[in-house]
Amino acid sequence: MSFLYCLNPEKHKLRKWREDNHRNSEQIVDVGEELINEHASKLGDDIWIIYEQVMIAALDCSRDDLAWTCLQELKRQFPGSQRVKRLAGMRLEALEKYEDANKQYDSILQDDPTNTAARKRKISILKAQGKSAEAIRELNEYLEQFVGDQEAWHELSELYINEHDYGKAAFCLEELMMTNPHNHLYCEQYAEVKYTQGGLENLELSRKYFAQALKLNNRNMRALFGLYMSASHIAASPKVNATVKKANVKYATWATNQINRAYQLAGRGTKENKCSVKAVEEMLESITMS
Amino acid sequence: MSIKLTTQAYCKMLLHAAKYPHCAVNGLLVAEKQKEKKKDSHSTPILCVDCIPLFHGTLALAPMLEVALTLIDTWCKENKYVIAGYYQANERTKDFRPNQFAEKVGARIAENFSEAAMIMVDSTRFTMGCYEPILTIYDHHENKWKCRDCNADCFEDWCEAQKITSALLEGRSYESLIDFDNHLDDLRNDWTNPEINKSVLHLC
Repeated sequence: MSFLYCLNPEKHKLRKWREDNHRNSEQIVDVGEELINEHASKLGDDIWIIYEQVMIAALDCSRDDLAWTCLQELKRQFPGSQRVKRLAGMRLEALEKYEDANKQYDSILQDDPTNTAARKRKISILKAQGKSAEAIRELNEYLEQFVGDQEAWHELSELYINEHDYGKAAFCLEELMMTNPHNHLYCEQYAEVKYTQGGLENLELSRKYFAQALKLNNRNMRALFGLYMSASHIAASPKVNATVKKANVKYATWATNQINRAYQLAGRGTKENKCSVKAVEEMLESITMS
Repeated sequence: MSIKLTTQAYCKMLLHAAKYPHCAVNGLLVAEKQKEKKKDSHSTPILCVDCIPLFHGTLALAPMLEVALTLIDTWCKENKYVIAGYYQANERTKDFRPNQFAEKVGARIAENFSEAAMIMVDSTRFTMGCYEPILTIYDHHENKWKCRDCNADCFEDWCEAQKITSALLEGRSYESLIDFDNHLDDLRNDWTNPEINKSVLHLC
């Protein structure tokens, strides 16, 4: 196995990008196109998944020529495949032929009504056409059936955030946190949504979830900054009593010191870094003064 | 009343949009702080000398935006700059009008700088050759945002801006552009983008 990797570091790169779900389409096209053109014979069975990956990246880069080539190879190898049909649909989407793309997905769903990929592509079309309300409605319907689809819950939370419907976005993130209690990113995003909603209760919730995100990953800078922001806003609020104020000043101070430390660790004495450190010091002064 | 852009400011805005073509992106524009308030100060245009790319993806969340504004404010004070504008490119190419979020941020900036501008990037006209300016500039008048035509006059030197931006796009400089999101992912990432600034100067 390692022998093959030595021969094909590019293949290894493509695999990593696939696994991490990176959308670095230009790089994928660069690496993938060369692999396909020069080394197709050495790729074995991996070539099919590479064709798929390169095709999608090619669509992202408006390289219809390359996308078409990949699609033809896949059609030839897997005639009648729903997965390849979906790729054909995506190509139509890229060409903005939404009606034709929808027909393609509808035909997949006729044969297989549980095909989640086709349903999600139809929702993506609504999104691409700017029909946010419809996309949200369809995605909600989808999630009633496929309640465990995390990607869908996350997409829905983003759609709600873009519509400034923070309450519903929070609900989606709550679903994600329930099924992924160790995921620091969901905690942190939930905290950001609560913070944006505003009001003392939401600020306190946001502080708790920023803290939780930090517990899960103490290097999450957004959570650290978020903890500082929420705690200092609570401390500055006229609605809190002295005990709560004192506690939040403590949290904010702790956060600021951690932020300072993080910058010292990262810093190479760059000018920008010095400014950030200075800003953080000012943040510390402003809390202790209030 | 009107703002003008330097090559560096325009360049970095477009590189930011080019780095994340599938996302909404936003950022700030900074201008040099005026020393005295001249009586006829409204006739001299404000020159936006630099651009700080902020976020990509989901823009409409408050906490990190506040953090960015705080840190960048301090940086501005150190460099005698003032935050003079806000730019945004929407997720959908065909959607180049400012949304509620852009207006909110723009208004917030206008509180500290009355001649602040809001800039929307029109991705439908975004080409590698940069043959025409692809911005729409909005000025804040009586609590409303009024659209202004963007042509070569909105630039310190449009020919230079066009040439250099196109060259950097061809050279894929956007791959190394750092926005505030990248900085939060890894504090060593420098959102002032000194390398790109050097490249711009090099090509001048």
